[in-house]
Amino acid sequence: MLALLPQLLVSGIAIGMLYALIALSMTILYRATTVVNFGHGDLVMVAAYLLTIFAVNATLPFVPALLLSVAVLFAFGFLLHRAFIWPIIRGPHLSLAMMAIAVGYSVRGLVRLEYGQEAVRMPRPFAEKIFFVNNVVITLDEIAFCVVVLVMLVASYVVFSKTRFGRIVQAMFQTQRGASLVGINVMQYNNVIWGVGCALGALGGVLLGLILILDPDVGAWTLLRGFAAMTLGGFGSLHGAVVGGLLIGVLEKVLGTYVSTAFIDITCYLVIIVVLLIRPRGLFGQHATLRV
Amino acid sequence: MRLTRRAFWLLPLLALPLPLVLNQYYQYVVNLILVYVLVGVGFNIVVGNLGQLAFSNVAFFGIGAYASAILTTKLGMPWWLTVIPAGLIGALAGCAASIPALRGVRLFYLAIMTLAFGELMRWSYIRTPVLTGGSMGLSVPPAEVLGWTLTRDDQKFYVFLFIVVVVVVCTNRILESRIGRAFQAIKNDEKAAAAMAIATSRYFLLAFALSGFVVGIGGAMYAALVGHLSPEAFDLVQLIQQFAIIMVGGLGSLAGSVLGAILITATPEIFRDWPGFEELMFGVVIVLVIMFLPRGLVSLLARIHPVFKDRFYQDD
Amino acid sequence: MALLEVEGATVQFGGLTAVSDVSFTVEPGTVRALIGPNGAGKTTLFRAIARDEQLSRGSVRFRGEPIHQLTPNEVSRRGVRRTFQNGGLFGDLTALENVLTGLHIEIDSSLLGLVVGSKRSRASERAATRRARELLEMMGIGHVADQFARDLSGGQQRMVEIVRALATDPPLLLLDEPAVGLAPPVRLELLEIIRRLVETRGTAVLLIEHAIEFVMTVSDSIMVLNNGTLIAEGTPDEVRQNREVLEAYLGR
Repeated sequence: MLALLPQLLVSGIAIGMLYALIALSMTILYRATTVVNFGHGDLVMVAAYLLTIFAVNATLPFVPALLLSVAVLFAFGFLLHRAFIWPIIRGPHLSLAMMAIAVGYSVRGLVRLEYGQEAVRMPRPFAEKIFFVNNVVITLDEIAFCVVVLVMLVASYVVFSKTRFGRIVQAMFQTQRGASLVGINVMQYNNVIWGVGCALGALGGVLLGLILILDPDVGAWTLLRGFAAMTLGGFGSLHGAVVGGLLIGVLEKVLGTYVSTAFIDITCYLVIIVVLLIRPRGLFGQHATLRV
Repeated sequence: MRLTRRAFWLLPLLALPLPLVLNQYYQYVVNLILVYVLVGVGFNIVVGNLGQLAFSNVAFFGIGAYASAILTTKLGMPWWLTVIPAGLIGALAGCAASIPALRGVRLFYLAIMTLAFGELMRWSYIRTPVLTGGSMGLSVPPAEVLGWTLTRDDQKFYVFLFIVVVVVVCTNRILESRIGRAFQAIKNDEKAAAAMAIATSRYFLLAFALSGFVVGIGGAMYAALVGHLSPEAFDLVQLIQQFAIIMVGGLGSLAGSVLGAILITATPEIFRDWPGFEELMFGVVIVLVIMFLPRGLVSLLARIHPVFKDRFYQDD
Repeated sequence: MALLEVEGATVQFGGLTAVSDVSFTVEPGTVRALIGPNGAGKTTLFRAIARDEQLSRGSVRFRGEPIHQLTPNEVSRRGVRRTFQNGGLFGDLTALENVLTGLHIEIDSSLLGLVVGSKRSRASERAATRRARELLEMMGIGHVADQFARDLSGGQQRMVEIVRALATDPPLLLLDEPAVGLAPPVRLELLEIIRRLVETRGTAVLLIEHAIEFVMTVSDSIMVLNNGTLIAEGTPDEVRQNREVLEAYLGR
């Protein structure tokens, strides 16, 4: 039984990298505006469709198609915040959550109208390949997951802790009003952050497109795993999101193999429920209490 | 005030002769509207009145529907005897869904948690085929009321109308009392509510249980209406539809839930053949409502005539 | 026996001490004011009495019974009612309904009674509604009874909140800055309301206030809090003369 463990760890970490990226992109939005983007999964999903459209219908090569779809998602995130979130940012939380959900559903509906009936496969940048290391199977996709996500983690770390932009964003997480008092255009910063968050999510969507047949419902699948990672790591914590994502990935594989295959589907639900009941601030969350 | 209040009785009275003028298909849609009136009324208790961001309503709906179907198919109970148990099981699910809230989980956390709860329930419908028929679904025999079998939709209509009127009237009585005011107080300011000697946890539990009860009964009616339950009926499209009902009608308004149910349920039936259209439409409609009509359509009507105001107080 | 006895009350947040070893009593039929500079710990002390805050040390007794272990709604149930600094009205309820929430525990309606429309539940709800309307009219704001609280003016909101707090005729009222933002004539009206309540009902009032003339006129005695400790206590005249107070509070 234990002989399987290294294999499970490797594939768990690889898929966990993807969850980490999604959770990270959602955490960035959350830290900027303390709004949880319930439509994030659908935006992640649409990125993979966009890439397919650019590459297949517009016959672009993979890399330009990828860059273009990330750019479109950046613009989408920017406009989403500017046009729909910012105007009601002082309103009730319920409206903010519903706004994000409703935008997500509209996007999902559009995709389903257009592609709902057919199985769409995203074009691949490289052929599938398998490596063996001491009986452990590693796919080229999994290596790509790890490389892309690690690069993005380093990049986000540098941007958020070493640049002026990053420091301002960090300060805004502490106090939005304080930031506007010292003359920072909070709206513009948040627009950009939402753009960045959605662009990062888009990258996650493209990675997802490598391993899944595209389906409009992938969005909800993604969203819940992102939530599980954020919850486990602690809401609002950047490294918590990453650690949480990796743990969920491994947990899914381990529980799915050793306990029951059912756990592959429900690990994320159970993690959310158990963590919020037992230790609501997760592993690295700062807020001891959830009341506002 | 009294006279205007009575005006609401006109609505079910006017509906009475509907089966005479409707063909079978429209009769089905009207019956579906009745189901969604209860779904909306129940959902609104938690979201509109208690003000909590809870996504567990589809779970209550599914639990009520499956409870009724399982009681009829596996235990051989007549349908009408399963209505109250379906409501009670829904109320039980409501109590379960309120546990995180009782432990202090609020806002987005509560939303995420109840979303996970809902998805977990849908997964369990698929994974327990012994009870639910799994992904193949569960066929329900024609509903039976006091030895009378409801085979046609116009027969179901009168039974449904009766149930809906009773449940809505009772819910209205509760929402217009100190209990309903306690819900709204909690929505606006939990600390201030506690300072009014309102036992906030008890009212959290009560609101979720009440919501589960009303929606669970809606579920039992749904089972009798469609005759075949499948897990896909309780997916995320269902969730957005239920949100659209209460948001378009008006959060925290009973009249709003009824209005929303009529408008939202009637439309997607027209667009059945274009999958995705419902999601797109509900999404856009909700965006528009939040931006331009945050208190829902009922707030427009209240400006026209006070009969649409949420609550009335009589002290004579 | 005093109505409220606070003994050695201490509230700490992490390493910070917000309220340190404060002791005082409040007698029925008197108005006590709590004054002091911003950040002196006045509101924290209020919150500790109402149980929104946990005492680190010390005790609070009401009518001789300790209340510092109860939940906020139990404290309120025993007859300690309060108003909030930043307004604790329920905006989605009308003025009348707000007062009715104040009467929550006096309404004798049950879930079952309401559902079946029992006589007792309905009569009780109606009696309470009548009572709430009377109270609003007595305070001269009967005309706004059916307006949503969020649509009322600041002064009207303050009045509704006070009516809501005293609806059950509680033995002890905690008022957090009741006069702030009120126009002078309304302030005078409020002052009369408080005095009348204290003299006719024997209500005890503990209030926080910055408007110094208001405090001097309404109070029987004044306590001065600075950096979490009581530095002076006495009649308005005594406090006015106190050197330490002048230095700490008035900055002279």
